Amino acid sequence: MKVVKRFFDSNRQHFVEGGRFASLYALFEAIETIFFAPDTVTRTSPNVRDSLDVKRFMTLVIVALLPHYAFGVYNVGYQSHLASGVSTSLLPVILTGLSAVVPMVIVTYVVGLAWEVLFAAVRKHEISEGLFVSCALFPLTLPPTIPLWQVALGISFGVVIGKEIFGGTGRNFLNPALTARAFLYFAYPAQSSGDAIWTLLRDGRSAPVDTFTGATPLSLAASTGSDQTVAGQLAEAGFSNGDLFLGLYPGSIGGTSTLLALAGAAFLVILGIANYRIIVGGMLGVVLTGGMINLLAGPQAAAFLHLNPLHHLTIGGVMFGLAYMATDPVSATHMPGAKWVFGFMIGMLTVVIRVFNPAFPEGVGLAIIFMNVFAPLLDHLEVQLRLRRRIPNI
Amino acid sequence: MKHLQLPKGFNFALQGRPEEEIDILGRPDRVGLLPEQIAFVKPRLLVRPGDPVRIGSPLIEDKRNPAIKFPSPGGGRVAEINFGPRRVIKEVVIELDEQEDAVTFDALTADQLDQIDRQDLVQRIIDSGLWALLRRLPYRDVAPVDRTPPAILVNLDNKQPFMPAPSLYLEGRTDLFEYGLAVLNKLAQGRVFVGTAASQGALLESLRELVTHVYTGAYPADDPGVLVYRTKRKPADNHAWYIQGQDLLMLAHLLKTGQYATRRVYALGGACVSRPMHLGARLGAPLAQLMDGRLDSGYAGDRRCIQGGVLTGFATPPSSYMGLFETALTLVPEGNVKGAFLGFVRPGFDRPTYSRTFLSRLNRSNLKMDCNKNGGDRACIACFACADVCPVDILVHFTYKAVLADEIEDALRHGLLDCVECGLCSYVCPSKIELMETLKQARAELQKEQI
Ligand code: SF4
Ligand code: SF4
Repeated sequence: MKVVKRFFDSNRQHFVEGGRFASLYALFEAIETIFFAPDTVTRTSPNVRDSLDVKRFMTLVIVALLPHYAFGVYNVGYQSHLASGVSTSLLPVILTGLSAVVPMVIVTYVVGLAWEVLFAAVRKHEISEGLFVSCALFPLTLPPTIPLWQVALGISFGVVIGKEIFGGTGRNFLNPALTARAFLYFAYPAQSSGDAIWTLLRDGRSAPVDTFTGATPLSLAASTGSDQTVAGQLAEAGFSNGDLFLGLYPGSIGGTSTLLALAGAAFLVILGIANYRIIVGGMLGVVLTGGMINLLAGPQAAAFLHLNPLHHLTIGGVMFGLAYMATDPVSATHMPGAKWVFGFMIGMLTVVIRVFNPAFPEGVGLAIIFMNVFAPLLDHLEVQLRLRRRIPNI
Repeated sequence: MKHLQLPKGFNFALQGRPEEEIDILGRPDRVGLLPEQIAFVKPRLLVRPGDPVRIGSPLIEDKRNPAIKFPSPGGGRVAEINFGPRRVIKEVVIELDEQEDAVTFDALTADQLDQIDRQDLVQRIIDSGLWALLRRLPYRDVAPVDRTPPAILVNLDNKQPFMPAPSLYLEGRTDLFEYGLAVLNKLAQGRVFVGTAASQGALLESLRELVTHVYTGAYPADDPGVLVYRTKRKPADNHAWYIQGQDLLMLAHLLKTGQYATRRVYALGGACVSRPMHLGARLGAPLAQLMDGRLDSGYAGDRRCIQGGVLTGFATPPSSYMGLFETALTLVPEGNVKGAFLGFVRPGFDRPTYSRTFLSRLNRSNLKMDCNKNGGDRACIACFACADVCPVDILVHFTYKAVLADEIEDALRHGLLDCVECGLCSYVCPSKIELMETLKQARAELQKEQI
């Protein structure tokens, strides 16, 4: 610890005004403050300030995401071994998972940080920790087969277009990680859709073994004919309700586990970082919309319309999206009432997109981005309502 | 007596709460006046170094309104006048002599007070140099002499760490207090409100029907601005005046006896004080006298001497003097040291916070707080904490943005003038944005325009 301190103290000179690497000061500051909080004191009242800062706030989101990484590594490896017909014992599975996930994470962070440092240097501000959260979220939304250059391109788009051109963290109105994901979806549909992308094949195989269906629960649900039930199809494909809840099925790296997303959501809500109104509102939106569709659907309608609404929460990434993406405080609505509406609409749109638009099997990402756009309007309405109740003081 | 339940705000559990006991200090060699710290007054000096002064001789006047003068807290000789950058007058220091002559006035008995014309009373207060103790909402500037307020509020306690306990400074002085209220009644033509916390049991017992509002709630429940916000019915109510409990006693003493009161009760607290307690000392007493022998000798780092509470107060060097309105001296570590290794992921059992992100939320004991900012400056992350904590329901981050964009109309609609300058928004902000300071400056600009 003393050594670390000495290292920073002796190298600071190179990064301050006039030093050789003065333009990299933001990076130096970011790294140093990871180890030691700065010694800056208040200059104006209030003389004392809360212990919470943005670094801790954002770090706690990353902490909540770590179980998703652990599970994602396992699931990627597990599905890959199943599809390739090799042993599914723990250690090899984890190694396979790591070999897929770790490079993606590294690429995301290196590229994302490079852009952030560049903008920080030009704008002369400190590196915002929001970036680290975006970079932690992005790989979790990706299929494990995605080429690394697309990862790099995606995060570049997310950081630059989703955030920096609006002025950086705090001024962006879209969620950067989702912007990145959506960009890849539309720019490279080949690597972003179809069943094959969700499972990594090993040993040079070009097709999975016959016993492995490879379809994600969502695509199964969407393709179920009106003479069958989705639940039956899922059971036939070998997805028990337990597997679905746990997330043990082919899908994005981190988005499959409803259980972990619920746990993470609870963790963040208890700490006061994620807002429960958005999450609960979103779950209500999913379940009520699913239920409505059940009621309205005629007997001839596609089986997906008759799916038990609770199932909508366990298949696909809706819970992950609600817990971590929709609750990004900057791009979500700010007002308490608007948060309910915002969450509810996301849940509703997700189900509608899923059920009625077969081109997008997973709708949660689009639903969130769509609602991000409307968030300022919702806020504006609630703010005006509230201001009307004030006794003027002018 | 009305009960008010104030839903918002925050209570600080800070180390160094002053005990409810009092030490009486002797006469210091020097006393001082801090013109720089008298808000909304542009001081003009009326004395020069070496001039003899009496207790009550005017030392400065307000350039904008020369009727408003500020009396000397001691008798003797002007020893020094200290200026800061751009020639702001920081301190006027008086060296006390033995006999300490004083300016005196005719005493005004309670009966005479009953009879006196309001305008004559106003003139008496102005002549005494104590008019500036009366302040006006929403700006908190000196009350305008030519107007009748919709109400005058008296605030007795203050939950900010750490202000003097009203039971101590009111002890045995209820009569004087009552006389003071009669003065205010004359000024406000009957609309005088006295508020105190429901937790002040003994005080309520002794003041009884003198108290009009009892509230429960966290800091700054006791602020006059909060009281106005929670009780106002129409826009005119916004312009109520207020006066602090001890200042009212000072004013009452002068009118009743014709002599200046030169002592008050100070609260000395904070983590750097070995025995936090109350002190009876001179107005404008040197900080050194208050701190003498009471500092925690085990602490070797820098300290900050804060007058007026850790949230709304200002820092002064230890060589300075207590300001005219100030009743509290709080000593906390400066905090100009680097944080603990990897502090941002530690559970933080001893880190004070409003949020729920530290285990200290489970810790019931009083915690140590220093003046470190506890984080770097970041853009707003819309966590909504500032709006949640604001005692007068301002959506602070929206208001802040409106002020920065120079959309003052919008900021006013958001309640910019309702802001009570409690500092809680800046305190809770994880992005360390100077919210209160920004709003305060915008308010000061508005005040200038109004005059
Ligand atoms: S805006 Fe800030 S300083 Fe003003 S009353 Fe609200 S919390 Fe206090
Ligand atoms: S507390 Fe700070 S970061 Fe949070 S909403 Fe208010 S201004 Fe923004």
